[in-house]
Amino acid sequence: MMAEHWFWLLLTAACVIWYSTITVFVAVKGMKDIRGMLERLAKKAAGTEDDRAGE
Amino acid sequence: MSNFTILDGGIVGVYLLATMIAGIMVRKYVGKVEDFLIAGREMNLYLGIASLAATEFGIVTCMYTAQNGYQFGFAGATPGIIMAAAMYFVGATGFCVRPLRDAGVMTIPELFERRFGKRVRWSAGVVIVLGGLLNMGVFLRTGGEFLVLVCGFDVRYLEISMTVLLLAVAVYTVLGGMLSVLVTDFLQFIVMSVGLILVTILILTQVGWGTLTATVAKHYGEGGFNPFVHPNMGWQYVLFNVFLNLAAVLTWQTTIARLLAAKDTKTGLGVYKGTSFFFVCRFLIPGIWGIAALAVVAPDAVGGNTLHAMPHYLSTMVPAGLLGILVAAMLAADMSTDSSYMITWASVIYNDILAPFRKKVMSERRGLLWNRMIVSLIGIFLLLYGLWYPLEGDLWTYLGVTGTIYLSSMSVLLIACCYWKKANSWGAAAAIAVGAAIPVAFLVLQKVPATKGLTEQIGPYYSGIATYVAAGAAMVVGSLLKPGDAIAIGGTR
Repeated sequence: MMAEHWFWLLLTAACVIWYSTITVFVAVKGMKDIRGMLERLAKKAAGTEDDRAGE
Repeated sequence: MSNFTILDGGIVGVYLLATMIAGIMVRKYVGKVEDFLIAGREMNLYLGIASLAATEFGIVTCMYTAQNGYQFGFAGATPGIIMAAAMYFVGATGFCVRPLRDAGVMTIPELFERRFGKRVRWSAGVVIVLGGLLNMGVFLRTGGEFLVLVCGFDVRYLEISMTVLLLAVAVYTVLGGMLSVLVTDFLQFIVMSVGLILVTILILTQVGWGTLTATVAKHYGEGGFNPFVHPNMGWQYVLFNVFLNLAAVLTWQTTIARLLAAKDTKTGLGVYKGTSFFFVCRFLIPGIWGIAALAVVAPDAVGGNTLHAMPHYLSTMVPAGLLGILVAAMLAADMSTDSSYMITWASVIYNDILAPFRKKVMSERRGLLWNRMIVSLIGIFLLLYGLWYPLEGDLWTYLGVTGTIYLSSMSVLLIACCYWKKANSWGAAAAIAVGAAIPVAFLVLQKVPATKGLTEQIGPYYSGIATYVAAGAAMVVGSLLKPGDAIAIGGTR
C-alpha cells in the first residue's frame, strides 16, 4: 500500500504545482487572447458594414 | 456555525459585479448567429484553456468529486486520470476531432447530416439535448446546497439564491452568447483557481498528508488507493469510466463547442492537450477536500448525506476572508458552467432540432432573437427541473447515466462517421435508439418501487458498459443490413 501512497502524493503535488503555474500563465496570455479576439471581431463587423454601404 | 462574515460577502459582491460588467460589455461584438454561438471562430489557445477548464468545473463538479473522495478515498479520483489521458490522446492524435473541426460545422449533428442524412441529424440533436438537459438539471440544486451550507444560510434561501444566480448568468449569456461566456469564463477561471489552490494548501497544511492517508486506509483499506480492489468500484467502474470519459472527450457539447469556436484546428487540438492535466486536478483537488471531511466529519453529522460532508467541513474550517474567496471561486465555477451549458445546448436546439422547421433562410437578426429565446427557455427549464427532481444514489453516477443517453450513441456515430466507410443511416438510427433506450430504462426502473431492487442488482456500471457495447453493435448490424451507400465526409449522395 506504501507504493500507492507515493503515487497519490506525487500526483497531488503535481496538481498543486501545475495548477498554480498554469493559472498565472493563462491569466497573462488569456488577456492578450481576449484583446486579439475582440479586435478581430470589431474589424469583421466594420468590414460587413462597409460591404453593406457599398451595395 | 459558519465562518462567513460581511467581509466575505463584500468579496463575493465585487466578484459578481465585475463578472456582470464584463459579460454585458462584450455584447456589442455580437452581430451574427455565428458570433453568438461559436464566438465567430476567433477563440485562441489560452482563452480556450481557461474557458474549457472553467466550464468543466462547476459547484456540482466540486460536490461529486468531493463525494467520490469521501466515499472511495483517493481511488475516487480515477475518472479524472482516465479523462486526462483521453483528452491528451485525442488532442495529440486529432482522433475524430480533427475531421470534425476541418468540416467547418457548428455542431456534431450538422456533420452527421453529411454522412447519414437529415433525419439522423435531427434525432442526434434530440438525444444530445435530452441527455444534456437531464444532466445539467441537477446543477442548480446541488450548487445551492453548497452555498447554503458553506455560508450558513437558512435552507429556505436555497431556491432564492439559485434563482438569483441563474438570472445573473442568463442576463449576460442571452445578451452576449458565446462571447460573453468566453470572457466571463476567463475571469471565472482565475477566481476559481485562486480559491481552489488556496483552500487545498490550507487543508494539506492543517490536516496533513499523514492524516489523509491514514483516514483513507482506516475506512477503505487498500481499496481507498486502488479502484480495482475497492468493494464498490472494481474493474466494471474503471471500464465504464473509460467508455464514458472517452465518449465525453469526443462528443460532450461544451468541450466540442471550444473546438469549434477555436480559430483553427491546431488551436482546437492545443486546447485539448493544454487542458488535459486539469482533469486530474478537477477530481483530485476536491477529492482531497472530501477525504479531509471524512477525517473530521462523521456521516451522522450530515444526516448520512455524503454530498453535504465537504461543504459542512469547509464552512467551519476555512477562516473569514478566505471563505469569501472560496465562495466567489465556487460561484465563478458555477456561473461559467451554467452559462456555457445554456449556450452550447441552445446551439444544438437552434442549429439541428429547429432547422427542419425553417422554411426559408432566417436573417441574422431573427436568428439571434431565436437563440436568445432558446437560452432563456433553457434557464426556465433548469429552474423548474432543478427544484423538483429528487436525486437517487451518488451524483457522479447520475451524471454518468444521464450523459450516457447521448454519449454512447454520439461517440459511436462520430467514430463511424469519420473512420468506417460502411457506416450508414440505418446503423446510425439503430445506435441512437439503443444508446438512449438502455439508460432511460435504467432511470425509469430506478424510480419504480417494483423494479428498484433489480436496478440496484445490475448497478449503473454494468448498465453503462452494456449501453456503449450495444450502441456499437447496433451501428455495425444496422449498417451491414442496409446495402452499401458509403460516402465520405463532405461528399454528397
